[in-house]
Amino acid sequence: MDSIVTKKLIKKFKEKTAVNGIDLNIKQGELFALLGTNGAGKTTTIKMLSGLILPTSGEILIEGMDMKKDMFKIKEILNVSPQETAIAPNLTVKENLEFMAGVYQIKDKETKINELIKQFKLEDVLNKRAKTLSGGWQRKVSIAISLINNPKILFLDEPTLGLDVIARKELWEVLNSLKGKITIILITHYMEEAESLSDRIGIMVNGNIVDIGTAQELINKTKSKNFEDAFVSIATGGEL
Amino acid sequence: MRMINFAKRNFKELVRDPLSLIFEIALPLFLLFIFQQINIPGDTFKIENFTPGIIIFGFSFITLFTSTLVAKDRGSSLLIRLGTSPMKSRDYILGYILSLIPIIIIQDSLFFIVACLLGLNVSINIIFTILISILVSIIFIAFGILLGSLVSEKASGGVGSIIVQLVCFTSGMYFSKDLIGNVFAKICEFLPFESALNIIKGVLNNNYDIISLRNIIIFIAYTIIILILSIIVFKKKMVSDNK
Ligand SMILES: Nc1ncnc2c1ncn2[C@@H]1O[C@H](COP(=O)(O)OP(=O)(O)OP(=O)(O)O)[C@@H](O)[C@H]1O
Ligand SMILES: [Mg+2]
Repeated sequence: MDSIVTKKLIKKFKEKTAVNGIDLNIKQGELFALLGTNGAGKTTTIKMLSGLILPTSGEILIEGMDMKKDMFKIKEILNVSPQETAIAPNLTVKENLEFMAGVYQIKDKETKINELIKQFKLEDVLNKRAKTLSGGWQRKVSIAISLINNPKILFLDEPTLGLDVIARKELWEVLNSLKGKITIILITHYMEEAESLSDRIGIMVNGNIVDIGTAQELINKTKSKNFEDAFVSIATGGEL
Repeated sequence: MRMINFAKRNFKELVRDPLSLIFEIALPLFLLFIFQQINIPGDTFKIENFTPGIIIFGFSFITLFTSTLVAKDRGSSLLIRLGTSPMKSRDYILGYILSLIPIIIIQDSLFFIVACLLGLNVSINIIFTILISILVSIIFIAFGILLGSLVSEKASGGVGSIIVQLVCFTSGMYFSKDLIGNVFAKICEFLPFESALNIIKGVLNNNYDIISLRNIIIFIAYTIIILILSIIVFKKKMVSDNK
């Protein structure tokens, strides 16, 4: 069974068509990178896939469940690290983790929280209020939170934006350790990130997914030297 | 439970803002104290009448800070994140309301301790008043949720202070509405603040005659309408903000 299926998924904001009829089939355990130019519709796509906004038309099936009918069941098994850091500013890091554990009604929350603290090396900032942390640390906490419910499906919207090289490498390690176990949709503007982490890459332009394949397939198809050239070639329709 | 979890977080968020505590607690206490030091003729400023006024005055700041909290949450990505979680509308609304109840109880208790030190009779009526004031506070919280759903964080302070002003001028806490004229008196009658004050005054002074049927009807009607409106508007905004 596919983890995520969309059929003719469309989102219109008044006249603006942000997502223009995309058909996706993403396998369980796959790490799927979603690339595209600014404003291509990537964030809008995962907002629909995570049940935050309703599609104008089209279908979404998550783990075989229909988003229209089973939205709240679906929401229990997924999680999102939004494009903008999302944490409660006046709570400490520990309290943020506890709060989100409560939101998902996690049974053994101490164990899970301690696991995340270790995984993301949060020991030193645990008792600091979230708003007093640097941007990169806030982002790390925001990403850590997205794993609190052991999601079957994880959406990461530009997770490494603002992270230093070391933190980025650490996040890659975390993602690699999750690979194959859960389905991950990764939005990123870093080509090397998509290339080294993902199983397949989808490239979005103007609300459409114009090409899908492994990094190597896309390089071969466009007869490019490297993946970055392949991306540019696909995203510009071969004009650049 | 999700709503209690959310309420806990809201409570922490609220009490960690020192400004909100100054206005919700310190300012009303200061006014309570100061107006007992000056001898103003008339019944309005007698401690048994003025303390209920101070309670309502304190509640108006509950509206202000609730609206700021809701507006701030809407403006931050936190609600986006929660929007992808299994939280339902009732978890949000009840979570906001519940988080303010402890603050209401703290307010009331401090106001009454000071009032008793200033000469208010200690009686069981104080307990009844605290209980009834929790019911009365719901409309002030709902007003806050409604305003916070409509305006931005920046505007919420200004809009919230309209409620503070309305409470000062139309509840009768400082002066009787009849002093100002007919039209104004009518306006007061059709706003909920005078009714709220009368209900609290009546219970505190064991003088239920001053609570008119109109007071009760106006108050209940407003509470229900504002509560329903706040739920509808919050729900709508929750979706449209995320579009
Ligand atoms: N609430 C909204 N109202 C109107 N238009 C919107 C709204 N949200 C997004 N859009 C428009 O939809 C299009 C797609 O936006 P989206 O945020 O999905 O892009 P993106 O691919 O994530 O871009 P970026 O890489 O810059 O994050 C853009 O043209 C954007 O202006
Ligand atoms: Mg985006």
